[in-house]
Amino acid sequence: MLALVVDDSRAMRSILTRLLSGLGFDVAQAGDGAEALSVLDAGTRPDVILVDWNMPVMDGLTFIKNVRAREELRDISLMMVTTESEQGQIVRALAAGAHEYVIKPFTDEVIAEKLALLGLVA
Amino acid sequence: MSAIDEFEAAREDLEALLIEVLGAVAGEEALPVWDEGLPSGPIVWSRLAIHDEEDDSFTMVSVRTSSIVARVLASRMLLTPDPGPDDLLDAVGELGNIAGGNVKSLLRHSCRLSLPAAEVTEDAKPTETGVTVRAAVLGQVVELTVDVAGDVSGLYWPGGSPLTDALESRS
Repeated sequence: MLALVVDDSRAMRSILTRLLSGLGFDVAQAGDGAEALSVLDAGTRPDVILVDWNMPVMDGLTFIKNVRAREELRDISLMMVTTESEQGQIVRALAAGAHEYVIKPFTDEVIAEKLALLGLVA
Repeated sequence: MSAIDEFEAAREDLEALLIEVLGAVAGEEALPVWDEGLPSGPIVWSRLAIHDEEDDSFTMVSVRTSSIVARVLASRMLLTPDPGPDDLLDAVGELGNIAGGNVKSLLRHSCRLSLPAAEVTEDAKPTETGVTVRAAVLGQVVELTVDVAGDVSGLYWPGGSPLTDALESRS
C-alpha cells in the first residue's frame, strides 16, 4: 500500500508518515496541492492521499477537485486532514470528493479507524 | 458586546482549547497556569489571522513559547534529535495553525483562516488589548492570545496571496 501525505508543515508530514509507516504503508510526501499533482503526473499511484486544507500555492480543496476531475485517478481514496472543523466545510470537502475527514489535532487511532473504513487497513 | 468582551467571555474555553491542543501535539499532559509568564530569552511564536467576510474584520491568534519547548516539539514532531531553527518554526507554526483553527471553530464561524507565520524573537509580549491564556507543558509556559486585527503583514491566504492585498483593496 502506498500513501501520499500532502501538508505544508514538515512536522505534520513527519507525524503522518510515522503513523502510516507503522500501519504498513509506504509513504510519499508533497508540500502543497500543486506539488502533489506533480507527483501524480509523474506516475505515482497511491492507494490513499491524506491532504491538508490550508496550504500555499494550491489548497487541499482545489487539489481534491483536480484529482476527482481526472478519470485515471478515480480509484484513489482521499482523506482531508485539517484544522478546519466547521460543518459547512466538512460538507464542502465531502461534496468535492473527499471520502473521509479528520480534524487536527487527531489521534493515531482516529487515522487508523478512517483507513479501516476505507478498507485500507484491517 | 465588543470582540474583546466576547474573547474575555470565552476565556475558560480558550484555556481548555490550549490545554487540549498542547496535550495532543506535545504528547504530554498540559496544565493551566495563571500567574506564570514566559521565561526570559528567545521566544518562538506563530500568528495567523481569521477574516470575517461579513464585517471585514480580522481576529488575530498567536501562540508563544520558549525555544526549549519549541525544540522538544520539533524534535518529537520531526523525529530529529537536534532540530534546526527552521524545524522550530515549522513545529510552532503547526501548533499555531491547529490552535488557530480551533479558535475559529469556537469564536469565528464561517470565517477564513490564513496560513500561519512563525518567527523567533526576543520581544513577543502579548498584546495589551487581547485575551491571553496560558498553559504549562514540559514545565514551560505556552501562551495563546486572541485579539482584534493586529498587523497582518507577512501573512498569506491558502493559495498564496498576501492578506495585505485585502486591506489595500478596501482603500
